[in-house]
Amino acid sequence: MTTADDATDATDATAGRERRRDHWQRRRRLERRLHDGAALRISSLALRLGVLDAPREQIDALQGEVADALDELRAVAAGIYPPLLHEAGLGPALLERVRATGADVALDVADDRCGPAAEGAAYFALVEVLTGSPGPLAVGAHRDGTELVVRIGGADPALAAVVRDEAAPLGGTVEAGPDTIVARFPCG
Amino acid sequence: MRVALAEDGALFRQGLVMLLEAAGHEVVACEPGGDELLRALADQPVDVAVLDIRMPPEPDGGLVTAERLRASHPDTGLLFLSHYAESHYLVRILEIGTEAIGYRLKEKVGSVDVLSDTLTRIADGEIVIEPVLARRLVEKPRNDRANVVASLSERERDVLKLMAEGRANGAIAGELYVSGKAVEKHIASIFDKLGLHADATESNRRVLAVLTYLRSQRGEG
Repeated sequence: MTTADDATDATDATAGRERRRDHWQRRRRLERRLHDGAALRISSLALRLGVLDAPREQIDALQGEVADALDELRAVAAGIYPPLLHEAGLGPALLERVRATGADVALDVADDRCGPAAEGAAYFALVEVLTGSPGPLAVGAHRDGTELVVRIGGADPALAAVVRDEAAPLGGTVEAGPDTIVARFPCG
Repeated sequence: MRVALAEDGALFRQGLVMLLEAAGHEVVACEPGGDELLRALADQPVDVAVLDIRMPPEPDGGLVTAERLRASHPDTGLLFLSHYAESHYLVRILEIGTEAIGYRLKEKVGSVDVLSDTLTRIADGEIVIEPVLARRLVEKPRNDRANVVASLSERERDVLKLMAEGRANGAIAGELYVSGKAVEKHIASIFDKLGLHADATESNRRVLAVLTYLRSQRGEG
């Protein structure tokens, strides 16, 4: 391979990572649009229904439908980019998820912020691991220089592949031992 | 009662004003952000301030505004309305205050009765938590590690769940079909198991019980 090809490859890789970072930014903005647009509009509808001059049972039934629609929107938003991940970081977002699902996980996540791409990729990789593991798991995460380091103890090493699917496009790395997966996600 | 509200979504703000007025409340101030609300309330007290969590000043202006309001108007009740019911924000809200405070989903206060009941309970000094959140927190103990709530009996957990919703003993007794005396015994046992002893007031201990539960899950307990 020639030097010129190497340079092209490096440029391609950098452009690919850039696109992947944009991808996470877009997801975060999409969630915000859902919240500020559709969700708020539908919540307002619930209040407007409350002042209608109609039989109580009818209004209750319609408001129930509205609440179900909002539950579905919240589920979609959580799959795009959990707002808590943006507002409070990886630790609070994971804890909320663990509480909601009852997963058997010990969390030790530092308060460090690492940008929407690293945090998004790490969060969704961990959601996959949690879904695929009976537990108990031990998950640790902290910022080390320009990288977000995530250590997962107690997971099937085969799950390293789903973590790599999120880390590699950003230029991150994943190492899997018999009982531990360690992933590094570039911050920024 | 006299109510003020701050919410950055114009449609929702209008809907809320309509509902509050239909419920016979006086809307003293209706603002698009927390800073405007604080200015509006500088020289006119209200019974309850209704706050969106995610509004200016960004990112969570409702919380900042609530802290300032609690400091300047300690008698004003605070009701947070949000698109999300999350334990993360519940903990932050209970750090602002454990009396006359509430956290509910926006779409769940859509009737005159529910909205008025929520406001009245807050004005009376109670804490009101969205039932789905209270249930989620108490019904799904995560694991045994650092989870003191696991030491509670099933019945005590039922009582704690209702306490987390801000119910008084009489209401808890009615809900669980037991005597008031039995509820008191369960609550004393909950306080004991969670290590909450005599010096706090009854109402504070109730909230501390819920907070202890939350903190145990955060690994701080």
